[in-house]
Amino acid sequence: MADTLTIRTAGIVTVQDLGRVGRSRYGLPANGAADQHSARVANVLCGNDDRAPLLEITALDFACVPSGDILVAVTGAPAEVSVGGVVRPQWEPLPVRAGETIRVTGINRGLRVYLAVLGSFEAEHLQGSCAPDTILGFGPPLRAGDELALRTACPPIDHPFSRIPLFRLKAPVPPFPTSWTIDVTDGPDRAEFGDTGRRLFDAPFTVTPRSNHIGLRLQGAVPRRVTQGEVLSRGVPIGAVEVPAGDELLVLHRGRGVTAGYPVLAVVTATGLSALGQVRPGQTIRFRHRTLDQAITAHRAQRQAIDALRTRVRTTFEALRIRAPAGV
Amino acid sequence: MTGNVIIADCGDSALVAKAVGLDAEPAWRLVHALADVLNALQLTGVHDVVPTYDALLVEFDCAATDHATVRRVLAHEAARLGPHPAPTTPPRRFVVPVVYGGGYGPDLPEVAAQLGLSEGEIIALHSGTDLTVRCLGAPAGAPMTDGPPFPKPVPRLASPRTRVDAGSVAVAGRQAVICPMPSPGGWPLLGRTPVRVLDLHSDPITAYRPGDTFRFRPIEPQQWDEFADLALGDCAETPDLVVGHG
Repeated sequence: MADTLTIRTAGIVTVQDLGRVGRSRYGLPANGAADQHSARVANVLCGNDDRAPLLEITALDFACVPSGDILVAVTGAPAEVSVGGVVRPQWEPLPVRAGETIRVTGINRGLRVYLAVLGSFEAEHLQGSCAPDTILGFGPPLRAGDELALRTACPPIDHPFSRIPLFRLKAPVPPFPTSWTIDVTDGPDRAEFGDTGRRLFDAPFTVTPRSNHIGLRLQGAVPRRVTQGEVLSRGVPIGAVEVPAGDELLVLHRGRGVTAGYPVLAVVTATGLSALGQVRPGQTIRFRHRTLDQAITAHRAQRQAIDALRTRVRTTFEALRIRAPAGV
Repeated sequence: MTGNVIIADCGDSALVAKAVGLDAEPAWRLVHALADVLNALQLTGVHDVVPTYDALLVEFDCAATDHATVRRVLAHEAARLGPHPAPTTPPRRFVVPVVYGGGYGPDLPEVAAQLGLSEGEIIALHSGTDLTVRCLGAPAGAPMTDGPPFPKPVPRLASPRTRVDAGSVAVAGRQAVICPMPSPGGWPLLGRTPVRVLDLHSDPITAYRPGDTFRFRPIEPQQWDEFADLALGDCAETPDLVVGHG
């Protein structure tokens, strides 16, 4: 019988991947890990495919226990991570023996922690992805007692005589500040806001509690549309910064409806979206204007850092005779 | 700019092509034909297309491709398609049962009052014409169709509902929609269909596609259960029947 990972303390945890691709045309949003960078790194640290199912732990304490020996990696927001009561680092692979409790507590500064397992686990898929879609009612949060079927065992590789960390893989760790800077480029409807468009960069905005994976609502000195007329419903990108009626700024995230009828003032960059996936309600955001070239360069640098990490992981796993998971 | 589309940057991972200088019908036809072509080309890095009324959003991974490459393909294909591309697949017609008014369509009286018509006249107009599906939008594959031939546009609700039942049939502006899943909504509700709109385990999840038509058929509340086990796909007419209806 396959080994399992049993959830002991659930908090708010879901099975995630990088999201649903190719379904926007049928009205389905991408969804998937809100912080794509951290999720990707967690899987890479386990030698998995970037798109393998993993756990997204939001804000609250979490604990789980494997029935067999496994290797995990914990990335995302700073937290206290322990394995069998011993404090362990984030952003490195962690060997876990059968029956040891993996605990993630005190998530701070950021909002979401990612936990990947070497070889991943079985997950129900819908339209090519295991990412929850709250509109479709797919992918409910896990509860205490739930068991995930592990796909691969990982023989114990901890040093027999010392507890020093086995790995120093130097994963690319993004900053987790208390006040965030989020990069944006001009949106296609920038001109509709005239001079008020500059307000986006003049002062900070506060993230309200009515924020989630569909979109973040921000309070502050909101730019105003200076043109009149209805905007026909059309596709809007993830990261679109909109100003619906009212005094809030709306920033669409990965669960956004694919069509909308508001002008798009700015668009959060690909790297900015991962950061935005970590911003907590009550924290402040400052938007920073970037050119398209700057935004693309930053995104490519982040991906290249992950590619380099993937190579280091492969080399290290080969040296330790850790069998890389097949087809995960 | 190729004569019939303007292509604009839409952040670091998307472009939007907007049809220009065309009437609504050929503009809509062009952006959907362009979406079909892009899907067929399977360009490296391009992962999603969202064609709507007069615009096409193209989403890509800017680590795997770049704006210039995608823009060049879009411009070339738009020019090649010309202003009047032919439809790629023959449209289908769906006859969709709807219970109007009461708890099923709580805004029917309000909409009738706003348009200066009786509730019966609203129902007759909404169910008296074939309505063309223009695009699939939010939430979750919702079929956005042309509105019925009402005398004027229908205003949105002053205060959106936090929950609209699946199958609700709504109108706003000069558009109409069936709400496929329970979700918040700001469009006035005229009625509700008992049939299941989406099939989550088929790919795509919708039986209908842009260009297909819906004909709403009024049913009585007591007929609800007769249709409750049906999927929307079961409401498609066979080609013979389409001919029969002329």
